[in-house]
Amino acid sequence: MKRGLITWDKSEIPSAVFERRIERVRRLLADRQLLAVVVYSELWRSNQARFLSNYTPYFNRALLIVPDRQPQTLLCGLSPRVYSWIRSVTTIEDVRPAGNFAKPLFELAAERNWTRIGILDDPQLPYDIYKAIHSGPLEVVNVEGSALYVPAEDQTELMMRRKTAAMARSILADELPKGVGGIDHHLVGRLEGRFRRAGAEDLITLVTTGDGVPAPPAGKTLEENYSVSLALEYRGHWVRLSRPQASAQVLSDCKAGFEQTLDRLQPGPKPNLASPDVTLSSRARPFLIEDLGGSYPYELRTGSIFALHVQFQVEGKSLFYGDTCWRNEAGPQIL
Amino acid sequence: MAESGWDHLLLYGHSWRKDFFRSLVNFNFFGPHAVAGLSKSGELSILLSHPWDSDFLAGRVDARIAWNPNLRKSLEDFASGKTAIAGLELMEQQFTLAFHDPVSATAAIERLRRVKTAEEIEILKQAAVLADLGYGHFVDTAKVGMPEYELVAEVEAFLKSHGAEDNFMLIASGGTEVFGMRPPNDRRLMKGDNLITELTPQVNGYYAQICRTVVLGDPSPNQQRSFEIFHEAQQAAQSFLKPGVNIRDVARVQNDVFRREGFGEFTGSKYTRVRGHNLGLHPDENPYVLEDVDCLVEKGMVLIAHPNTYLPLSGYMVFGDTLVVTDDGCVSLNQTEKKLFSKEV
Repeated sequence: MKRGLITWDKSEIPSAVFERRIERVRRLLADRQLLAVVVYSELWRSNQARFLSNYTPYFNRALLIVPDRQPQTLLCGLSPRVYSWIRSVTTIEDVRPAGNFAKPLFELAAERNWTRIGILDDPQLPYDIYKAIHSGPLEVVNVEGSALYVPAEDQTELMMRRKTAAMARSILADELPKGVGGIDHHLVGRLEGRFRRAGAEDLITLVTTGDGVPAPPAGKTLEENYSVSLALEYRGHWVRLSRPQASAQVLSDCKAGFEQTLDRLQPGPKPNLASPDVTLSSRARPFLIEDLGGSYPYELRTGSIFALHVQFQVEGKSLFYGDTCWRNEAGPQIL
Repeated sequence: MAESGWDHLLLYGHSWRKDFFRSLVNFNFFGPHAVAGLSKSGELSILLSHPWDSDFLAGRVDARIAWNPNLRKSLEDFASGKTAIAGLELMEQQFTLAFHDPVSATAAIERLRRVKTAEEIEILKQAAVLADLGYGHFVDTAKVGMPEYELVAEVEAFLKSHGAEDNFMLIASGGTEVFGMRPPNDRRLMKGDNLITELTPQVNGYYAQICRTVVLGDPSPNQQRSFEIFHEAQQAAQSFLKPGVNIRDVARVQNDVFRREGFGEFTGSKYTRVRGHNLGLHPDENPYVLEDVDCLVEKGMVLIAHPNTYLPLSGYMVFGDTLVVTDDGCVSLNQTEKKLFSKEV
């Protein structure tokens, strides 16, 4: 759950980056003859609103409204007492109480004479908000998320994901050897401390001692070979990584196997995403792909950011190696 | 289900709100979605959207387990008959299209979850122990010059090392300019600060909470006076809470203390949120302790009474304990001393 540093460091993401992103939204609004687009945000689906405004929620739900001309508005379920904090870490100045979301949205639309609005990934709205908005006076048009959020076309997005992934690789490389002989909870605690001191907002750590898939820590002793799988968020940018604790040779073999699997994603028919059992060669090697761009169900396409995790069998134990990747026109690349 | 005429009851969870799912299948899924489905004949099905969740659960529970990255497809198995969904409101609209006319079971399941079993209370006691230990670590670690987020990092590391599954934590530091809590920022702690936190570790799915204030240095007369009001208000709630009383009165007895002291305006929504709330598989469960909430207290409810609010005396202050309702009153699950903490600087 988010309780790390939520901030806006303008040396990392200058205001001009958000201005460019909003300009792209406005071009799309013009193309589709819309006066505003609504972007849903909550704790586990914060990517799109964060991309446009740097808003990262720590609790509750929100709607970010991007009009064709006026500044953005945030309809927010959080207390007005934290609005000044929201303004200090986002590009948003106009923050309003959300109520049931539909009523303040309709009021804003009436103020501005909007009769037709877009909603980003409308079918993914929570049922109650969807029903409330669709029972109102506005004509609602679905705007597919991929129309506004194409990571591969945004160098800052790629840079931030790279930075986050580099942080994850570096800290894991340092901490995994120290975990041998200890309890999984202790390793997870040390990782929490390291990542959050480095400025991480959120962290989910799964561990396996080699007898199954990565899962939440359960008080098990970590022996010579084990794996950790991380979901890490830094400045709103999520990455996923899996790394085994193993000898240098085994680690090198796993890395090579991972790269080989990644390379094979490039040509030929695309695998069924998120399928754990797609065999790409005679050396059966289960792998898993997770979408990190917010689309669901998973769909890998040019510009996608995704995680690939490959499972290896070493002396009867399952080891996991995975990383965050993106797909450009040349094929999949490690971020 | 029989009384309501439901053929299927689905308990839906996503990465943030796992609580409805976990009220039937207490499994901390990785995500992003999970559904526990119960038929009227008592058969349990578990639908998962991540293959690792499915692999982990296989053989561990007596249920039909299926995974599909497209949850809508899995849900079609429950499309016939009358389907009720706990967590329907949280579910993506596209998933609900699998059903002809889904009914919300959210309120009904929340009512069932409100009163805890003896087993659940035991788990909450463990979570409360961890909350106490975590708060001790918070006080021990805090020092002038430390950024808020580093303090939170240390507490998170401590709690996870001691087996916490998760933790919901808010913080703030400063004086009369502080109007509420939020995630940590990079402000460095200063001498004289009120350092406030709401710490909520999760053990085996269940959250217990503690709220305390520590002053860095000697408390000022205003900080002390402020704390005395909070202490009296929380004690009023704790003395009043028992089966049969109304939640609105649990809020009222706290607010009355502030009114008597001339701070009645600071009990409203401009300065505060709630005077407490239920605890369980979600850190912020219904009922919320407010004067306009009508809900009778029952034995076995577990809630926090916290009169947290802004006062012009010393800014936003917090104070509260996790309480379990007994036959004739309530007991606190927290052992942390009920005082205004202060730390030499």
